[in-house]
Amino acid sequence: MSNPILVVGGGPAGLSAAHALASAGQKTILVDKADRLGGAPILSGYAKLVPSGEWARDAIGGMVERVSGKPDIEVFTDTRVTQFQGEPGAFAVTLSNGQRRTVGAGILCTGFTHFDSVNKPEWGFGTYPDVVTTTQVEQMISSGKGVRCPSDGRAPERVAILLCVGSRDRQIGREWCSKICCTVSSNLAMEIREALPKCSVYIYYMDIRTFGLYEDKYYWQSQEEFRVKYIKARIAEVTSDGKRLLVKGEDTLVKRPITIPFDMVVHAIGMDPNVDNPEIAAVFGVELERHGYLQRAATYRAMGGSSRPGVYVAGSALGPETIDDSIAQGQSAAMAALASLRPRALAG
Amino acid sequence: MPIHEKHLIRPENLLRKDKLEVEGVDVSGDWSTFIQTRVITDYNESLQDEIAALPGGENIHRCWQCGSCTNACTVNAINPDFNPRYWIYLIRIGLESELVRDKDIIWQCVSCNKCTYACPRDVVPEAVVHATAHWLELKGYVPQKPSVIFDDAFSGQVFAKGKIEEGRLMRKFFARTGQKLAQPWLVAMVKGMVARLPVTLMMRLGLAGLIHPRTRGWSGKRDAINEYVAEQNAKHRRALGLNAQPTESRT
Repeated sequence: MSNPILVVGGGPAGLSAAHALASAGQKTILVDKADRLGGAPILSGYAKLVPSGEWARDAIGGMVERVSGKPDIEVFTDTRVTQFQGEPGAFAVTLSNGQRRTVGAGILCTGFTHFDSVNKPEWGFGTYPDVVTTTQVEQMISSGKGVRCPSDGRAPERVAILLCVGSRDRQIGREWCSKICCTVSSNLAMEIREALPKCSVYIYYMDIRTFGLYEDKYYWQSQEEFRVKYIKARIAEVTSDGKRLLVKGEDTLVKRPITIPFDMVVHAIGMDPNVDNPEIAAVFGVELERHGYLQRAATYRAMGGSSRPGVYVAGSALGPETIDDSIAQGQSAAMAALASLRPRALAG
Repeated sequence: MPIHEKHLIRPENLLRKDKLEVEGVDVSGDWSTFIQTRVITDYNESLQDEIAALPGGENIHRCWQCGSCTNACTVNAINPDFNPRYWIYLIRIGLESELVRDKDIIWQCVSCNKCTYACPRDVVPEAVVHATAHWLELKGYVPQKPSVIFDDAFSGQVFAKGKIEEGRLMRKFFARTGQKLAQPWLVAMVKGMVARLPVTLMMRLGLAGLIHPRTRGWSGKRDAINEYVAEQNAKHRRALGLNAQPTESRT
C-alpha cells in the first residue's frame, strides 16, 4: 500500500480531491488553516451558488459532510503545513501542530483571497458605510437579514454594482480578469430585484463576461426578466452629498460625465492570489506564475501538475476559477496523483 | 478629438452677445458656453417603462448596445445622426432631454426592418423606433406626422362604415394636413380618367360620395372596435402619465 496523499485546503477543490481519493480507496490527509472545512463559500458566507442556485451551506456543506468521519480521510483543521521535503512517492511532511507524516504526493487546493476594496480608496469602501462588497451582499442574503444599507438599515431604492473592482487594473497590479464577478453580480442583481422589487439595480461595466452558458441564464435574464440596467462606464469615484452616495464617471455611450445618486454601492470584488502563496511556494518548493498564482504545468499529458513532480494543484490556487470547475479540477488532480502512485493499476 | 468635445459644443449652447464689454474690452459676438455643466445627474426611471407600454416598445429592455441596428440601418447610411442604438440607450437609462433633441429625425425610419433581422437579442428596433415616435407625439413634443393623420382618417372610416371610400379619404387627409385638394398629380389622374370615360366607375364613385354606403350589419362591430381603440389609446396615455383623453379632439 502506497503512502497517503496530502490535500492542502478544504474548499471546493480540496473537498472534491479528498473525496475522489477516498472513493478510490486511497488514504488521504486533508489539512486546512481555518477552523472548519468548506473554504471561501462557507467561510465568507456565500448565498446561492452559480449556476445551481443551491445555497452554499447546503451544497458545499454536503461536500464537507461527505469527507468528515471517513476512516480513509484524516482531517486537520487550524493547521498548516510547515515542511514538505522528499521525492514523489515519499515526501516527509511536518504540520504546524507538530505532527509528522510521510505522503506519496501532495495536492495544493489553497484557493484565493478576496480583493480588499480599501486598495481602491476612490471608490469609497471604508469611507462610506453604504459602500459594500459582493461578499457582504452575499452575507446579507445568506444570513436572512436581507439587503439593507449598513448606515441605517433601510432598504435601498437604488443600488449600483461596480464591476472589475480589483481586476483588470494595472494601477494596482492586477492585470487579470477575475472571471466570475460579472456572473455573480448579475445573479446578485436579480436576487436584489426579487427581494426588493421597488429597488432599481444598475451595473456599471467595461465589458460583460458572463462566459459560456452563463450568458442567457445570468446576463440576459437579469436584463429581460429582472430589468437590471447595464451602464457602460468605469466609475472614477464614489463620494457623498451627505445623504446619498454619488457615483461619478463617464458614460462612454452618451459621452458625458455622470454624477448619479445611489443608496448603496456594491464592489464586485475580484479574486487575488492567496496572500499565503509566497509561503506556500517556499514550503512546497513550487513556483508562482507572474500574477502570483501557483504555476501550472502544461495540461496535455497530465492534469493538475505544478512546477514540482509529485505536487499537484487544483482550483483557484491556479487563477480565478468557478466553484464547479474547481471541483472538477480537484477530481482530476486526485486522478493524476493516484496515477503517479499506482501507475500499473491504472495502466490496466 | 477628445471624447466629450463633439457633444459639448452645440448650437443651443452658443451664447450671442450683440454688445458686451468686459473691463473696457469689446467682446461682442458668439460665445461658446461649453463650460456649462453637461453632467448627467439622474436617471428618469419611468422613461423605459413608458416606451415599453406602447405597441412595439415591449422588448426595449433586452438591448445590450451592440449597434447591429444602427449598422444595418438604411437611414443611418444617409444621416449619421439617425442612431437607433443610441436612442434605445437614452430611453433605457432615462435621458429624456437628450432623446428629445432628435425629435425631428426619429420619425424618419422607413421600416425596412433590416435592424429587426440584424438584432441578436430580438429587441425589434424598428418597432421601438416607431413606439418612440408615437411617444413623442403623445407627449406633445412633435405634431402628428402626416402618415399618422392618414392612418387615423383611413381607420376612422373603416371603423365607422366597414369600408373605404377613396375620394372622401383623400379629401379628409388633405384637409387635415392643410394641403389643397387640387394636387397636380391628382388633377392629372382625374383628367386621364375622364379622357377614357369609365362611365360605370365614375357613376359608382359619384354615388358613393353622395350616400356614403356602409357594410351591412356593421354597427355592432363598429361599436366594439371603437370601444377597443378608445381603451388602447387611454391605456397608452395613462402609461405616459397623461390624461386618458387628449385635450383637443382628433376628428
